[in-house]
Amino acid sequence: MTRALALVLRLGLGGLLIVAGALKLRAPVAFATEIANYQLVPAVAPYVAAVLPVLELVVGGALVVAPRAWRRAAALGALGMLAAFTFAVASAYFRRINIDCGCFGTGGGPITGLTLARNLVLMAAAATIVAAERG
Amino acid sequence: MFATLLGRAVCLVLAGSALGLAVNAARPDGIRFTRFAPPTTCGAGEAAPAPRAAPVEVLAPTAAVSVCGDAQTLVADVRPADEFARGHVTGAIHLPCASSDGAASAAVDRLAGRHTLVVYGDGTEDAKVVADELRRRGGRADLRIVVIDGGFEAWSRAGLACSSGPCAECGAPGAPR
Repeated sequence: MTRALALVLRLGLGGLLIVAGALKLRAPVAFATEIANYQLVPAVAPYVAAVLPVLELVVGGALVVAPRAWRRAAALGALGMLAAFTFAVASAYFRRINIDCGCFGTGGGPITGLTLARNLVLMAAAATIVAAERG
Repeated sequence: MFATLLGRAVCLVLAGSALGLAVNAARPDGIRFTRFAPPTTCGAGEAAPAPRAAPVEVLAPTAAVSVCGDAQTLVADVRPADEFARGHVTGAIHLPCASSDGAASAAVDRLAGRHTLVVYGDGTEDAKVVADELRRRGGRADLRIVVIDGGFEAWSRAGLACSSGPCAECGAPGAPR
């Protein structure tokens, strides 16, 4: 049961990260602008925009096809990335900054409470994979 | 055990990051780090307000409508493009928080020869952010800057004039979406 759940979560979260990474790769400069709009550390936005799409593809791909030990590491990496995303989204949400999420590249829709809830659910999925893939 | 797991996770993140930088460098449309200019309509908060600029006023929709109809007034809508397209104050320009530096400069240019700027958003606070930035950029003591209290929802509830349609500026390169 735990294995089946871990498999479903791995394929779901891995697939989602691959799609998100691929969409973000399409327009890197526009994606950098989306990140800068969060007004957290605008100076690092272009570097994050350059790194993040491929990082999502690597972590998502590892979740789907890597051996168990590396799948677990990928889930931990995904958890860290999702924690950073959730912090950024929560920060924009509670500061009432009216911006697009940028979660799936440009045009991902505005940040709402649902965006925040979705990120928390994804974090829970990543944490479940880390726990379920043990041993 | 956890150290091994953490080490592998760090390896994956470092490998992904290095690959990301390499892919970006190889792409003709990749980000050129030294040339990237972040959007600034909302400001970054580090710039001091222009000393001569008049303070931002917050007015109820019924009070703000008296200045909206004036040809010397510029109205700016800071909501996202889809909300702007569904309906906006007649004659308003679209200038969301995420606008490019060029769009913000263009808005300031359009203020030349006008005496009033009216800004509204989903509520009061989102409009204030953009109003403060335009106030700082404009730096004019003779420019009255008004924020509509309660935003477009309050404006609509009061039954005041609005219009609908696509945002003409939204498709332009570097334009706000």
